[in-house]
Amino acid sequence: MNINRLSWINIIRNPFNTMLSLLLMAFGVGVISLLLLLNKSVEEKLQRNLNGIDMVIGAKGSPLQLILSSIYHIDNPTGNILLEEVNKIKSNPMIESTIPLSFGDSYRGFRIVGTTHAYPKLFQVNFQAGKLWNKSMEVVIGSDIAEDCQLKMGSTFYSSHGLIEGGKIHNEHAFKVVGILDISNTVIDQLILTSSESISKVHNHKKDSNHTHEGVVGSCSDDHSDMITVMLVKFRSPVGFMSLPRQINENTNLQAAVPAFEINRLISLLGLGVRSINMIAFFIIIVSGLSIFISLYNSLKRRRYELALMRVHGATRFQLVKLVFQEGMLISILGLFLGILFSRLILYVISLFIHHNYSFYSIQLGLIKEELWLFPIALFVGFIASLIPIIQAYFINIPKTLSNV
Amino acid sequence: MLKTERLSFSYNSSYIFTFPDILLDQGEDLLILGDSGVGKTTLIQILSGLLSPQSGFVEMHGTRFQNLSSKSLDQFRGSHIGMVFQQSHFVRNLSVLDNLLLSLYLSNKLQDKKRAIHLLQEVGLSDKLNNMPDELSQGEQQRAAIATALIKKPDLILADEPTSSLDDNNCQKIITLLKEQASLTNAKLIIITHDQRLKDQFNTSIEL
Repeated sequence: MNINRLSWINIIRNPFNTMLSLLLMAFGVGVISLLLLLNKSVEEKLQRNLNGIDMVIGAKGSPLQLILSSIYHIDNPTGNILLEEVNKIKSNPMIESTIPLSFGDSYRGFRIVGTTHAYPKLFQVNFQAGKLWNKSMEVVIGSDIAEDCQLKMGSTFYSSHGLIEGGKIHNEHAFKVVGILDISNTVIDQLILTSSESISKVHNHKKDSNHTHEGVVGSCSDDHSDMITVMLVKFRSPVGFMSLPRQINENTNLQAAVPAFEINRLISLLGLGVRSINMIAFFIIIVSGLSIFISLYNSLKRRRYELALMRVHGATRFQLVKLVFQEGMLISILGLFLGILFSRLILYVISLFIHHNYSFYSIQLGLIKEELWLFPIALFVGFIASLIPIIQAYFINIPKTLSNV
Repeated sequence: MLKTERLSFSYNSSYIFTFPDILLDQGEDLLILGDSGVGKTTLIQILSGLLSPQSGFVEMHGTRFQNLSSKSLDQFRGSHIGMVFQQSHFVRNLSVLDNLLLSLYLSNKLQDKKRAIHLLQEVGLSDKLNNMPDELSQGEQQRAAIATALIKKPDLILADEPTSSLDDNNCQKIITLLKEQASLTNAKLIIITHDQRLKDQFNTSIEL
């Protein structure tokens, strides 16, 4: 028997109070930790897809829309642009390399992107099977598509017009799968890649059938041979960021957007919501501190005689302080770990449900840097909650307590 | 072994308790009798060092309590004095046996489980070792409290009204037990009470 064991016994012999404090602490910590993890996961996902793309050139419109549609493939494109016009910019010495993207069609909801071999190389992804396309109408598919659509090497399919399922089927030309990519945890897992010519071929054919393009914002203009949707640009040096986007936006009919900048803007917008939920969670932690305080205070009131008795048996003031302090701290620390465990569990469950929709494949179940803040906060709350009971235990008046029974 | 001189104490200026000098040596156990309000509890707290007297001193084994720091006094009391109260109290979340072990721990003594069980058997609680104190009857609680005070082999047992809330039968048992256990461990016993039933049981008594 010793003080440590007694602290522990006092906690578990008082299950209801302990549970309340514990759950409140765990809940507060859990919510904050969950938000931090989600935030980090989304940010990472956003950043990972950004690799090697310094600027995007596309049709005029919302810069955020341009970025979301061309880099993350989650919004409609702003429209198509003339290749001829982009080519003028391409020769700018500040530009190291460019990659054209043409999109607007899909297969069972997955986007078909016409581009060059440079695009898949951006993602440094390996092949599960096959190789890159060589002829027109050959496609390389992302790992999710192979799984979802049961496409294999050599499978063929027709694209449908528009970016959502149910568009008109382009049934004149069939695509043929010549390569399947590995899982990369980037957006490319959900893309069908082909040459720019394939896209032109499908659409130029349509011109004869007098096809109209309702529903999709300018994704297919009539003469496709010299049009693309966007051009991804890599700068030679960071100096490019300073002048080129402004130059393009002011002097041409094109729009240039810097992904890093737009994404930071998006993250800071999201951050506002995250911050307010964080505030609520902090509030919950404080309430849990209050609950620890009340339960310690109450149990101490019932145990005044007990503490006096321990002093009679020879306990020092310090031993009583230690006893009370440990009870408060044990609850906060247990609550802290429980909360961190909760957040992992919830995240894991979430990831099971939304695997294919977006961005949580790569959940991080280890501790992240931002979460380390929760440790001092929880310990501090536990300490503050124990403070008054500690002072009471220290200054307990033994004769008075013993004779007042 | 225990010596007091000119002890007095007052809670307010209107009344001052003064206590007769006590000298307890190789002699016998001591009964201190007094009616309510004459300062019995005050005296026992002064004797145990829980309360400092206004004047006079308590000396045990040649050590004057007033010369000890509060911490040393706690430890001195823990290892040399066992106390029994009218209402027996325990650390409520611990079993009877664990209460004994805690008492040993707090007085810095070896937690000898065998001896604790043996002592509880001697006070007639062999079947209540692992019961919670709340589950014991009043007589059983008093016996458990005596065991808690005795387990650390104190040199002095101070009992404050140990029998007042007990019936004649239990009263007799408790006194016999206290005397037996005190002599077994070679401890001196001081009982402070208003319980006239005890008068004939002790050769030495003081009237407050």
